Amino acid sequence: MWTNPNLRCLLALAILCLTSLVHSREIGSQGDPQNLKCVTHNLRKMVCTWDISSKRRHGQTEFCYTIDDVIPKCFKTKEKKVEIPVPGSSTTVKITTYSISGTAFATRHFEIHKKDISFVPLAPRILSLTPDFSTSTLTLKWSDNGSAFPYGLDASWEIEILRKETMEDVTRESYNSKLTHEDIIHSWNWKSDMPLECTSHYARIRHYINITQFDGHKDWSDWSPVEVVPGKDTEPSGSGLFPQDTVVAVGSNVTFCCVHEEGRQVQRMSYGAKDYPLIRLSSRSSAIRVLNASASDASGTNIVCRMSENGMDGTVLFVGYGPDTPEDLSCETSNFVIIKCTWKPGRASGLYGVRGTKYSLIESISGKNVSCEVNEMKKERVCGFPVLADQKTYSFVLGVSNPIGQTEASLLVDLNQRVNPETPEKLTVSENSSTSVRLRWFINGSFAEIRLLCQIEISSAHSEQKLHNVSMPGGKFSTYTAQLNALHPYTKYRFRVRCSAADHFWRWSDWSGTEEHTTLEAPPARGPDIWRERSPSGKSLRIFWKPLSLSEANGKIVSHEVSCYLLEESLEHKEVTEPSNSTEIKLGRNDCVISVVAKNHAGSSPPSRITSVELPSDNVKTDRAVAMGNGIYISWNSYPNMTCGYIVKWCHSSGSEPCSVDWQKFPSNTTDAVIKSALFRPGVRYNFSLYGCKSSGYQLLKNITGYTKELPPKRAPNFTVEETSSDSILVKWEDMPIEDCQGFLEGYRLSFAKGEKDSLKPRLLESGNPELKVKNITDLTKKSLKILDLQGKTSYQLDLQAYTAGGLSPPNSLYVVTKEDSVGLIIAILIPVAVVVLLGVVASIFCYRKREWIKETFYPEIPNPENSKALQFQKNICEGNKSLKTLEMNPCTPNSVEVVETQSAAPKIEDTEMMSATTDTIVPEDGSDSETENHVVVSYCPPIIEEEISNPPMDEPVGLSQVVYIDIQSMYQPQIKPEEESEIDIVTTAGYKPQMQLPVSALKIESRSPAEEESDKTAGYRPQANTNAWNMDTPDSPGSVESNNENASFGSPCSINSRQFLLPPKDDEDSPKPSNTGWSFTHFFQNKPND
Amino acid sequence: MAAADIPSAALRHHDLCSRGIRLARKMRSDVTDLLDIYVERQGLDASISVAAVDGVPAAAAERWAEQSGTQRLLDNLAAYRAFRTLLAQMLEEQREQLGDADAELGPALAAVLLQVSAFAYHLEELLELESRGAPAEEGSEPPAPPRLSLFEQKLRGLGVLRELAQWAVRSVRDLRQLAKHGPGTTLEGSGTALGLPESQ
Repeated sequence: MWTNPNLRCLLALAILCLTSLVHSREIGSQGDPQNLKCVTHNLRKMVCTWDISSKRRHGQTEFCYTIDDVIPKCFKTKEKKVEIPVPGSSTTVKITTYSISGTAFATRHFEIHKKDISFVPLAPRILSLTPDFSTSTLTLKWSDNGSAFPYGLDASWEIEILRKETMEDVTRESYNSKLTHEDIIHSWNWKSDMPLECTSHYARIRHYINITQFDGHKDWSDWSPVEVVPGKDTEPSGSGLFPQDTVVAVGSNVTFCCVHEEGRQVQRMSYGAKDYPLIRLSSRSSAIRVLNASASDASGTNIVCRMSENGMDGTVLFVGYGPDTPEDLSCETSNFVIIKCTWKPGRASGLYGVRGTKYSLIESISGKNVSCEVNEMKKERVCGFPVLADQKTYSFVLGVSNPIGQTEASLLVDLNQRVNPETPEKLTVSENSSTSVRLRWFINGSFAEIRLLCQIEISSAHSEQKLHNVSMPGGKFSTYTAQLNALHPYTKYRFRVRCSAADHFWRWSDWSGTEEHTTLEAPPARGPDIWRERSPSGKSLRIFWKPLSLSEANGKIVSHEVSCYLLEESLEHKEVTEPSNSTEIKLGRNDCVISVVAKNHAGSSPPSRITSVELPSDNVKTDRAVAMGNGIYISWNSYPNMTCGYIVKWCHSSGSEPCSVDWQKFPSNTTDAVIKSALFRPGVRYNFSLYGCKSSGYQLLKNITGYTKELPPKRAPNFTVEETSSDSILVKWEDMPIEDCQGFLEGYRLSFAKGEKDSLKPRLLESGNPELKVKNITDLTKKSLKILDLQGKTSYQLDLQAYTAGGLSPPNSLYVVTKEDSVGLIIAILIPVAVVVLLGVVASIFCYRKREWIKETFYPEIPNPENSKALQFQKNICEGNKSLKTLEMNPCTPNSVEVVETQSAAPKIEDTEMMSATTDTIVPEDGSDSETENHVVVSYCPPIIEEEISNPPMDEPVGLSQVVYIDIQSMYQPQIKPEEESEIDIVTTAGYKPQMQLPVSALKIESRSPAEEESDKTAGYRPQANTNAWNMDTPDSPGSVESNNENASFGSPCSINSRQFLLPPKDDEDSPKPSNTGWSFTHFFQNKPND
Repeated sequence: MAAADIPSAALRHHDLCSRGIRLARKMRSDVTDLLDIYVERQGLDASISVAAVDGVPAAAAERWAEQSGTQRLLDNLAAYRAFRTLLAQMLEEQREQLGDADAELGPALAAVLLQVSAFAYHLEELLELESRGAPAEEGSEPPAPPRLSLFEQKLRGLGVLRELAQWAVRSVRDLRQLAKHGPGTTLEGSGTALGLPESQ
């Protein structure tokens, strides 16, 4: 209720009336005119109002007032309000009411004091309310009506902004001003958080004038009438998404509204990819509010409003940062034409293109400014400002702005102190002499007002880089020159230049391009280092010289002039062209002083001289030198009479070429030196000769040999075996060539151990052979060694190695067999012979003494088979066979033994031979053969009844008229499958062989009957032969058709007594013949082989 | 001589059609890629529907099959001339809005603009061969388009590229038809004949 401003106004008026009543003194009787109150709006006039309590109708009212005791002024009015002047202190008022008929019926007197008067200014009037839609800003303008008030009054203003059709309060803000007794128009801006297009915005204003000298009550004026800025939703065709294409700072809160046509509905509004809740503003306008907006993409963030009927509207918001303050602002000139300012932009704004950060360079002294075109993608920004004439100091302000904000950075520079000259260019070199050159270069800039300091870099392959500084006055786009002296002749130099300001160094320019130049030649600085050697014949002298170094040659040496003088008389003169470094002069036995001069294109060197005289020397010793680092250390005693120093000479030999002489000279106070040469190689012996120099000539003082590094010998010495015995070997070796030694030989190492040449044993030196023995020979004069305590007729391996300080050479190996020890051999033969003889004698004596027993046992007079276990038949076999007995001495008729075998009635086999004759049975695998077929006819006939054997019974087939042999082995043959049987050649064994172990696999044994197993145990002799060797491929051969099991005959008939194979009958040529007659113990006692 | 000209013209016509088809195919492929880049860079929803944009010629034709070869060429030429202007405008707007920030979209747009220009020139050549000659481009500058908001610019760009992609497809079909029937023949169902080169 209190929010309604009208109500508030009424209430305030009521309170004001009450207050007036309290403060006005009522003079008349109670009743009619009452509640007189006076309000002034301008401190000059006041409006007094009153009430009439009577309900009766009244006519006019007479209002009289007296101010400051002046004559009262009266006037009649029909209203209950009069305007009278504001009294200075107080006024007396008389109010008389009249009836309609004109009779007075009530008079009241009031006294109004100044403090009883209220001051309420008139409501202000808004002159204009102007919207700025792009910035969502309202601008309110009004007049303060100050002319109505005294000067200098403080005025307070209250402005209220209302929004939407319902005029909701948005904000109420204060504004203060001072009245200047003039009507001043005030302006006030307000930025809306919602685009002004979204809905209507209203504004009204009231004010309060603080009149300190006014005693009465002071109050706010009434509100001015509202001014409105209509939203787009009030326009008949207004629509769109607002704000359009704006830029805000990161973190801002932004309201977007979608204004649409009447009848449509906003379905959703999205910011980027996200939908936001809708805020209804009016029937045609809805909004969303995005809080804390984050940085947008380069192309901005799209806000899309989707409406019914596929309506769509959109806008783009760019969210970025305000410009960062530029860092490291620096300005310099490279040519006094343009000042180049650089800076680092700091944090990126995230805004690009037209919204990107703009830079402008303002020079505040001259007031000039330039706009800077910068590449936003580069980290460092550059902006140019023209150099102004007659201005050396510049005060730069770099202004930075973007749609979000602006900032700046400033810099004050003295341009003469900020010179970074352009890169020198067009560098040229011209020569003056062999040691000086002149350089020229150009700098594109106007440096007339400063001095330049230029730095020339001089570098050559053979010396360190040098910098040469030159200070010179600057010029306007000039060429600069500098002279360089003290250069070396005939040297290739590289030059480059850079410059800076000489007086106030700021920065060097970049280096110019490099220019190369070779100085002119000059005569060689000195004569060459020379030496001479007389030939072995002594008739010629070879002069050697060393090439001059580049710094000494001063050019390209083209030749050497060699002269030989004897007392100022030139004996010989030679010019030797390069690259030769020696020459020979034929002197005969004469001596002379040799002079050598090096020559180049520029001239000749001073001569180098040496005498050819070589003084005799006695007892020249040869010492060993010590290797030291890469060189060889040589020392010698001091020779006081060597007045002009020492020369150490040596010779380099490389392959087949003659060795090249080298030498080094030392002053006379030197007694040692380390000779170094790039040509020295490890493992090569160098011979040095130390010469002493006297005024009269050179004298050989001593010879020195040495190595820069000793290596192991290349190979071992060749060695041979001179002599061998049964327990010693004498070896002898040769000397090794020095080239193979690669060091000073310190000894030999002979290793030996038992070993044969082609054995697979590792090499002697490669394994820890426990029998290895080593002999170290340190006496180098010794060239042979006898190895003792060896074994006779034993092969030995001998390895010989040489060694130096560098190590052992690879070994040389020999294999030697010691000679046989003859005494031992004889003993070795004699002892076994003696033992054999002794054993023979003992056996003979034993046999002789026990001859009867032996005879009875092994060779009875009449052998009784029954007494022989080996020859016993089983009785049960013979039973039922007409008491047939083996070897019965009775005359024998041919007998046929038919063995009918049934498995159940298998006899207990005690003798395998018997089985072969009588019980041999082949049991078909499937056992399906009938019993009638499963029988064997065994015929036996001693030789004496041979005729009868040749006439077999007619009822029997011819093939069966012979003795049918059944090899007992067949019982143990693996049973052949029926389908294979016809294909398999029947092979039988022949003869007997002792076979206590049957060649039958355990698997086969398992398949046999227990009776058969028993027979295995009791088996003695068996017919034995390689059954495969008996090729019984004839169809009529015995047992060739095993499947029939009739007439199957295997093996050979045999004599039980002799246990020899019996020959098959003559007509049975296809029958197998024994291929193995074997050897049995019975032979030993057999006296009659034909039995 | 005239007899010799006809096979030569036919050969050239066929060659121009073949090359045009290749150009249109390549353009179609590049515009498709550009559309992807455009949608991504402008933060647009790929499924957003864009109403017909003013000045963008529509590829769809009501009686496409009945169009004569020359009419097809003229339609194509008009369309690609319009696209050339629109793409140039898009490129300018792109540079203005993004500056150096986008190193991909600008070059891709420029490349397609180049292809569109080349294809328009190609169509002019074909029309020359048809003895029709290409109609002159309107001499006066087209009226400045109303200033669009950025969002509207984005949508218009999307519309231009989508329609260009459609046109690339249509151009392939049009040129196939032209290649099939050769110069100076009446297309099937066409009421208008391609003008035969006159023998002289």
